[in-house]
Amino acid sequence: MTLLPDTDEVTLSLPAGPEFVRLARVTATGLASRLGFSWDEIEDLRLAVDELCHAVIGPSGRDGVIRLRYLVEPGGLCVEGRGYFDPGGPPVGLGELGHQILTALVDEHDVRDEDGQPVVWFRKKAAAPRGTDDGA
Amino acid sequence: MTEPESRDELRAHFEEFARTRSDALRDHLVNAHLGLAEYLARRFANRGEPLDDLIQVASIGLVKAVDRFDPERPVEFSTYATHTIVGELKRHFRDKGWAVRAPRRLQELYLRLGQVVADLSQELGRSPTVTELAAEMQASEEEVLEAMEAGQAYRFASLDAPAPGPDDEGSSTLASQLGEDDLAMAAAEDRAALSPLLASLPPRERRILFLRFFQGLTQSEIATQLGISQMHVSRLLARSLSQLRAVAAER
Repeated sequence: MTLLPDTDEVTLSLPAGPEFVRLARVTATGLASRLGFSWDEIEDLRLAVDELCHAVIGPSGRDGVIRLRYLVEPGGLCVEGRGYFDPGGPPVGLGELGHQILTALVDEHDVRDEDGQPVVWFRKKAAAPRGTDDGA
Repeated sequence: MTEPESRDELRAHFEEFARTRSDALRDHLVNAHLGLAEYLARRFANRGEPLDDLIQVASIGLVKAVDRFDPERPVEFSTYATHTIVGELKRHFRDKGWAVRAPRRLQELYLRLGQVVADLSQELGRSPTVTELAAEMQASEEEVLEAMEAGQAYRFASLDAPAPGPDDEGSSTLASQLGEDDLAMAAAEDRAALSPLLASLPPRERRILFLRFFQGLTQSEIATQLGISQMHVSRLLARSLSQLRAVAAER
């Protein structure tokens, strides 16, 4: 098995409802598995994707779309979620607990507001990529 | 657990809470009515959802009821809360209605996966990769990942069901494997950290959350420490976070 090229990007656009978060998780775990993430790391990644998505769409979803970008980096994965909602919805974002959770799960994360739309991203590295060095 | 309180005492507490919105009082009022939440949850049992999950759903309803109850109105809290909690339980079943049931094959794969994760972790001295798990299980990587996702489905996660895993002994359940002393200590740690939000979780879930997100233990380490499977830790974490989001949304 080989690593994906460093420049690979996968984009996923989903209706901003909680029932679609599963697809965001599956995409992340599929990529992480190819990157040689361990089982524990993939479990953390799933929780982190959940946090990210809910920080963007809120606990019960929004009218609109969440667009997820998965950037495959050397030995890690960067995930960004961006909301495309009608203006004037309830404020969303990460609470104190959300920040604490992401701090424990991933290497870096940030939340910002761009033109009134929530943007959340994180970066998670595989501690020791394995099963990927056979052909090296 | 607190001593049972008289109706007058409870009403006085609700009136004080209505004025102060004190987090400590809120926790107290929630705790004082957990029995009602559990009672109502049991009435919805045997409908395909694990009782433990129903109790958590009912607890969310209870928290909402405490927050919204107006002691000025001539209605008993228990009456008001019953409506709110039953509403929450009904909504839970309605929301679950669309959920795709994992095919039996994936369920079986998932149940086997727990054992293989434990065995391989032991053998390798680290958490295995999906490639290694797939090879061991003679399944594709996609199947392993799908099984992982299937494991998130609520119906597998019951604390009252025998804990799957190598350490399972006959009828022992997760609840019986967790020491009361540990729980008491964890509860103290949690109060220091984040009391109001975490108060809606049962002590064992609080403990797992604390170990993972505040102490930085991995899921496997927590599993070892508590004597349960990593898969079980995973499900409990996912479910607890989902519940916390629901509670946070209500605040």
